[in-house]
This record gives sequence, structure tokens and C-alpha cells, in this order.
Amino acid sequence: MALTENETLREINADYTERYGFHDAENYLYKAPKGLTRELVEKISEFKSEPQWMREFRLKALEHFLARPQPTWGSPLLAEVDYDDIHYFVRASERAERSWDDVPEDVKKTFDRLGIPEAERKFLSGVGAQYESEVVYHQVREDLEQQGVIFMDMDSGLREHEDLIREHFATVIPPNDNKLAALNSAVWSGGSFVYVPEGVHVEMPLQAYFRINTENMGQFERTLIIAEPGSYVHYVEGCTAPTYSSSSLHSAVVELIAKPGARIRYTTVQNWSQNVFNLVTKRAVAHEDATVEWVDCNLGSKLTMKYPSIYLMGERAHGEVLSIAFAGAGQHQDAGAKIIHAAPNTTSNIFAKSISKDGGRGSYRGLLEIAKGAHGARSKVVCDALLLDEHSRSDTYPTIRIGEDDVDVGHEATVSKVGDDQLFYLMSHGIPEDEAAKLIVNGFVEPITKELPMEYAVEMNRLIELQMEGSIG
Amino acid sequence: MPEIIEVCPVSDLQPGERRLVEWEDLEIGVFNCGGSLYAIEDRCSHDNGPLAEGEFDEEDCTVECPRHGSLFDIKSGRPKTLPAYVPVDTFPVIIEGETIKLEVD
Repeated sequence: MALTENETLREINADYTERYGFHDAENYLYKAPKGLTRELVEKISEFKSEPQWMREFRLKALEHFLARPQPTWGSPLLAEVDYDDIHYFVRASERAERSWDDVPEDVKKTFDRLGIPEAERKFLSGVGAQYESEVVYHQVREDLEQQGVIFMDMDSGLREHEDLIREHFATVIPPNDNKLAALNSAVWSGGSFVYVPEGVHVEMPLQAYFRINTENMGQFERTLIIAEPGSYVHYVEGCTAPTYSSSSLHSAVVELIAKPGARIRYTTVQNWSQNVFNLVTKRAVAHEDATVEWVDCNLGSKLTMKYPSIYLMGERAHGEVLSIAFAGAGQHQDAGAKIIHAAPNTTSNIFAKSISKDGGRGSYRGLLEIAKGAHGARSKVVCDALLLDEHSRSDTYPTIRIGEDDVDVGHEATVSKVGDDQLFYLMSHGIPEDEAAKLIVNGFVEPITKELPMEYAVEMNRLIELQMEGSIG
Repeated sequence: MPEIIEVCPVSDLQPGERRLVEWEDLEIGVFNCGGSLYAIEDRCSHDNGPLAEGEFDEEDCTVECPRHGSLFDIKSGRPKTLPAYVPVDTFPVIIEGETIKLEVD
């Protein structure tokens, strides 16, 4: 028997505990006591045998973090984050292994259960798996390595490619950008470093999987992707955590640099348990003729605040953000996008969709800025919200700043406005309204979902289908 | 027509030091990077907050915006890191005798 819409919605993540919410016994090489101190920051740097400049970078970032007040915008839930009640560094393994057999048994079991090795064999060019603070496994296909593609954990990247990292690290998101970026800059650990040489196309996605196991854990990965001119890479990340009664914090910093003519697609399918504060800073730079796409699927977490940004710095650069958020009971998904047109003839699209149910709150918070001199810029912002009951809430905070006259900017806030003509066309061919809506939305998301590893595509499709149902009329 | 304004005696702005001057409604930061003098607008192009009081790196000749961390090249006024992306104004520095002066317009 087919489930009703609401029954199907209840199904979403009903099996979270079984599938992702389990946790392993803590068998760690090192687990820092709760709380953030200068000594801890120095210890993390010492553990990693980092160069002096990185140690100084961390300590300066710590000062910024301590000096900045907790933000008061966004969500009242933010006030619940207790920075003194978090383990900032947990080491599960000595190093990032390149052979799955060498990964510690407990950790391996976790990722086996999550299906990571299987995904690597079937769909991916490379895989990184982060467990707590550090990456425990990293592998990239040999042919890509021979072409000069670098895909490794950030700690190894710093050791093996220090000059490259020093040149680009924190140029997109400086440590004092915001309080959470400062925190990440002080205690960052793990994350991915990706470098794609000029003209190289990485045809299959690279994937990283982030797993928090410890209660009251803070995970602070740092990712930097550099795409040299004319190159292409698709990076996919997935995130889960066990279900605990007390909170964990995930605060990543992700920087993308797409040089002239390069293209980066960055896909996130996060499915955190409902005790995770997910406060992430993601920002990209697209130079001349470059393209950056963020595909951001937010399920789970207690609070997500995340606004992937793209600075279109070169002529004809293109940026795209597709953001999907699902807010259930007790959850606030404060998601959105920021696109800055800083050069002429740049183009962008933002498509943000949110579903709220059982008292959940979905927010779209966006910025579209067209700078002076960005003649001929074109942008379209579409944000759709779907409320499933009277207890749930949806907010839209769109900001648009336009500094030139000869630009084309569209902002649409309802599905019906987007698809009326298409719906009418299909319905005039005898297709029922619901089916017509499915066709339209499937057509819209298909180029993105087909790029995802299978298990994520299935999950995302389920969500999109739900979002689609009931969004008409 | 550019106007010339006085900043301070040369001996009052040693390498690694900076000084703020006001002209009409403009505030300008004058920096000594290893013996060379440069002047930029005291306004971050990101959100118009004060810039010149930020961390000054004499060796790299940069100043970091104290509000959101954009790093500016003092010689060119260009931001080297986001979130700022628009250069700030620069002003020619003139030394006449023992006095540092700025050309403003």
C-alpha cells in the first residue's frame, strides 16, 4: 500500500539510529579533555609536527575566536552551544592509511557498515574517511595520481605540499572572517586537500566521509580545493554521527579556488544526528570563465547554519548553488547561499528548497551582490519553502544589492510562479498535476543527482520527491 | 586639483610604524614598510569599517582588517584575501625636506 505524504515523511530518518546512529567503543590514541585552551592548540600543532607559521596561525585564530562574541543572529539555538563542553581533538589512528586493511579494526567496521569501501570500488576516483579529528584512510586512483592530481587529508597535504598550501590556505576564508571560522582555524584537523593540475578532468567524483563517534565531540575539518586552469573536479562529502543525548559540534571551513576556465562541483549530503550543531563556512572563488557549483543537501542536525558562497571574480565566471534543507521536530535548518558578482558578464543561479514539518524551522538566508563594474551580470534566485503542518515555520531572508543598471536579476519565492507555464503545458497533454510536477522537478535536479554516488543519490531523490509532492497548489 | 596635506616629520614615522591622518571626511593610514612610505584609505571595502588600525605586517607590507580579516596589500590597496574584493584608495606620499606629505583629491 502506498504511503501518504505525511507517512512517508515520518519514514525519513526513522531508521537513522540503526543505519548511522550506532557508536563504537572509544579506543583512542589520544582524547583531549573538554575545553579550549592555548595549550591544547599548541598540542594539536605539536602532534601534527606542523611548521611554525601554522602554529602561529592557529594561535592568532584562537585570539580572534576568544575576542569575538557568539553571533546573535540566525537562530536562538546558537545560544545553546557550550564551547567548554566539547572535546576538541580526538585521535583514533596514527596516520591516514592507503590500504583499507591497515585501518584500525573498530574504525574499519564503522565505515564498512556505512558502505564506504563498496562505494569506492563502484563509483569513485578517490576516497577519504575521517573518523573524529583525523583522516584514517585516503586513496586516490593511480592514473589520476600520475596526472598530478593530489587528493589527501589536509594534515598530509601540509606536510607534503607546504608551499602550495601556504600560498592558498585561508585566502578565501581568513581566520577572522567569523567566530566559527576562527575556531576552525585554531583547532582544525583533517579535511581534504585537493589539487587538480591544468587541463586535467577528474571524471568520477572524489569522496570524503566524515564521522563523529564520541559524545560531545567537536569535528573541525579543513578542506581546500585548487582547480588549475581548464580543470574539472567533483568532490562529494557525506557526514553522520551517533545519536547521543548531549550535543556535538561540527564546524568546518571549506575553501574552493577555481582558476580561469576551471570547474568545481562540491556536493554535500549531510545527515547528522539530531544532537549536532553544524556551523560551517564554505566559500569559493571563481576566476575568469570558471564555474563553481555547490550542491548542498542538509538533513539532520539540531541546528545547521551554512551559506555556501561564490565570489565571481573574473569575467564570465559562473556560480550555482542548489540547496535542499529538511527540518523536522526540534531542528532549525538555516541554510542559503551568497553570490558576489565582482566582474562583468558573470552569471549565477541559486535554487534553495526547504521542507519543514513537526515544528521544524527552515530558513533561507541569502545574499546576491552585483558590484559596481559588473556590467551585464545575470542572476536568478529561487527559494521555495514547503510547510507540512501548522506547527512548522519557514523564513526567507533574501538580500539583493545591485550596483549596476545593465544587469538581469530575478528573485522568485514560489514554486507555482516558476512552473506554471510548464505545468500548464504538461497538463494540456493529459498528465495529471502531481505527475507533471514530478517531471518538472526531476528534470531540474537530474543533472545533479546523477553525479552522486548511488547511496547518496537514492537518499537525495527520496528527499526531493517529498519536497516536490505538495509543493503545487 | 590635488591638494597636498602634511602628515608628520619623517623622524616620527619609523619602519614598522603607522599614522592616521584626517582630511575633510576622509581618514588615511600612512605606513612605513621597511623605509618606504605608503598611504591607503582607512576603510575596509568589505563593510566600510576602519582598516588602518588592523594588524600591520611590515615585512609583507600588509594590513589585516580587524573586523573580518581581509588582508590588504598596502602598496596597491588590493585585498589579498576575501571577504573584501574591491581595492581601497591609495594616495601618493611625498617627502619634502623633513616632512611627510600626502597628495589627496
